[in-house]
Amino acid sequence: MPEWLSNLLSSVEDFIASLSSNIKLVDKALMGLEGSYVELLTILALGLLAVIPLIVPRKRRQFYRRLNQIFGICIFVFVVFTCLGVFGMIRNLFRGLSEIGRENIVALYYCSVPATIIVTSMIFGPMFCGWICPTGALQEFTGMLTGKWNRRRKREGWRFSRGMLVLVLLVCGVFIAWMAYLSANRVFFVEDASIYWSEVLLIICLLLLWRMKAWDKRLRRLRILSFFIIVAAAIAGMQITSPVHFGFSKVYDPASLLSTVMVGLAALAIPQVWCRYLCPWREAISFASRCSTRKLETDFDKCIECGKCTDVCNVEAVKDGHIDPKECHMCLKCVDICPVDAIELKENWKGKGCGT
Amino acid sequence: MAFASKQCPECRAACVIDDEQPPKIREWHFTRLQKRKFKYGFPVWASPAIAIVEGSPMAFFGGYDNTLHALDLAAKQERWFKVTNGPITAPPAVGSVEDIPVVFFGSSDRSVYAHLAYDGTLLWSRELVEPTPTIGQSIVCAPLVQGDTLYVTCFSYDRSFARNDQRGWLFALKKDTGRLLWKVEVSQGPVSSPTGAYVDGKYTVFVAARKGLLSAIDVSQTEPARLWEFQMPHEVMGSPAVLEGDRPMLFLGSKFGNIIALDARTGERIWKRMAGNWIDNTACIGEIGGEPVVFVGSHDYNVYAFKAIDGEFIWRRHLGGEVFSAPAFFYLEGEPALTVASLDNHTYVLNATDGKVTTSYYTGKPIWDTISKGDVLWGSPAVLQAGRQTAVLTGSYNGHFYVLPVYGKSELRAKVRSASSLWIWLIVVAGVFLLVVLPIVIILGPVKSPEKRS
Repeated sequence: MPEWLSNLLSSVEDFIASLSSNIKLVDKALMGLEGSYVELLTILALGLLAVIPLIVPRKRRQFYRRLNQIFGICIFVFVVFTCLGVFGMIRNLFRGLSEIGRENIVALYYCSVPATIIVTSMIFGPMFCGWICPTGALQEFTGMLTGKWNRRRKREGWRFSRGMLVLVLLVCGVFIAWMAYLSANRVFFVEDASIYWSEVLLIICLLLLWRMKAWDKRLRRLRILSFFIIVAAAIAGMQITSPVHFGFSKVYDPASLLSTVMVGLAALAIPQVWCRYLCPWREAISFASRCSTRKLETDFDKCIECGKCTDVCNVEAVKDGHIDPKECHMCLKCVDICPVDAIELKENWKGKGCGT
Repeated sequence: MAFASKQCPECRAACVIDDEQPPKIREWHFTRLQKRKFKYGFPVWASPAIAIVEGSPMAFFGGYDNTLHALDLAAKQERWFKVTNGPITAPPAVGSVEDIPVVFFGSSDRSVYAHLAYDGTLLWSRELVEPTPTIGQSIVCAPLVQGDTLYVTCFSYDRSFARNDQRGWLFALKKDTGRLLWKVEVSQGPVSSPTGAYVDGKYTVFVAARKGLLSAIDVSQTEPARLWEFQMPHEVMGSPAVLEGDRPMLFLGSKFGNIIALDARTGERIWKRMAGNWIDNTACIGEIGGEPVVFVGSHDYNVYAFKAIDGEFIWRRHLGGEVFSAPAFFYLEGEPALTVASLDNHTYVLNATDGKVTTSYYTGKPIWDTISKGDVLWGSPAVLQAGRQTAVLTGSYNGHFYVLPVYGKSELRAKVRSASSLWIWLIVVAGVFLLVVLPIVIILGPVKSPEKRS
């Protein structure tokens, strides 16, 4: 590598590192339990974010949803010291459960965030995915750039597109070049294994350029594999940091940053690609929300089959009014866009209809 | 007889065995943990001290089990231990009384102890602070042995309504009897371990208060005399590192993230450099190409190397976690080397010339992480430098004290990835995904759609 290029890249990296190292607005936990890492503000913030979807007015609901996502990112990146990474939450839950009875404060700290999310998902459905998750929000925001293009591709049955091939190859090129730079300058650990998830994500993007229609549903099973790998790693004591993890710590984490950028760029080609195929936490939430009290229901007598709900859903959980609760992120875009109010958010506290 | 460096308590540079045939040092994961459900507090937070006692290399370290352990590294056995009434959070110092090696250490029970290094016989013990019914545990830092005197700092507090008081003291004790010579209040808060150097022929002790006030105290007379003070920009946890010579210098990091070089005579700032996050432990001084170099770890995951004289940046090495330890400088087959511990659960050996990782060990993750980073000074590795028998010694939070040979096989040698292995693993992951996982997922067939369910 020429020296000028090396110096330039080093300067860029130094700049990013300096941004990461001073990312928090506070030195210590604002509502920290004395002498511990336990930050009570995390639970409070998460609780608030989880309640907002229940109270916002239907009018301009999508505006409030985006506001909620941005607010969530800001508070977790700039203020509190708890990671909302999808790998970390599974690992933390396991760690917290194993500490109960020995170090209860530590158990509380590790369990607080995942338990809050799981419990709110069990009661109110997978609102976390659609309203709070920073990884999901990142994909949604980057996906807006190619939103129209992807909606057209979806309507056309995800036919092969040369333009998309060029885009995916460009993203792959960025990944390989970045890896080459990091491999020459950094030390890598098991913790940095999120780069393998990024690699698989890019392979999936490439494959689905040709086989999206046939393989989309099948590849969603990879989330189960992803979940079990993270659980096995947690049991084995390996700490694999998630994409977006770098945003929650006060230090520069190059592997996590690379993974985050890759997730964001891959979402240009396939909307919510991480959530669809690789997010282990999505699988856990999907399972937890099977018996939730809030569900989307379609009144097919009202439905005029306009296809707007199919069009608007980023994760293809809705097709002509049929809603797949296993895939639904509860973003409520389909409810808001339906011109005849055929899709409704219904509450059922009697526990009927689990999993449907 | 070689003693661990007295220059800097948290930076116990290599204890050197010059013998052509040094005793064989085997890998050792020493622990006192039993098969109990509840771990009772062996985590070693203090750095070890190393000394050659009766021809045998020994390591001394204390832990949260209130005990000082003395390990015979060649025989691979614990030779003696001493239980105190409080956790031992600072490294001991090894000195000699009438040519007999003695271990001096402080415990949170407000006392300093002196034991014969060979068999642990108690020479003396001294309670530094008068007890009150409501006094809390004290922080007694690493002692400094100089001539016939032992210098030790102690922070004690009493939060009761009637006696509310907190003070950080510097004590001077008679080395052979423990008799108190004098004491001086340094700060109304915690203080770091003392370091010392001859400045213009006078022995001067330097103590940094947690609040950032660095004091230089002339101890060459009967009564201590404060020479100068320097206010650091933020909290200070470590001790100043001293570079002796024609122009003695001090190097001290702070939680503001900067390292400052001071003139040891006047306390004037010579240079300062900034890291990306806290520098909470002590810096370490080594020599590369005849020039003194300052090494320091930071919570921004990096180890930094600066030229000591003018602060010119030489290199930095990014590791996988906060570098909480003080580096220790030593030589590996004549090449300058460095060892540091990081919160990525690894202890590293770096090439001190360019910062490249020579080897690393997985030394375990914390079992106690209820204590916030930055509240206490965590331990640092030390080195027994003995040719091919060179070993890194480090206490870990996981209840083990590790003796790790630098050469040969080590069970804990970490598989930190080289550039080539990184690419190999990327290819392996791609291969496994495309040839195994993907076909299985495809063969399993389509997932039932909601329409079909209904």
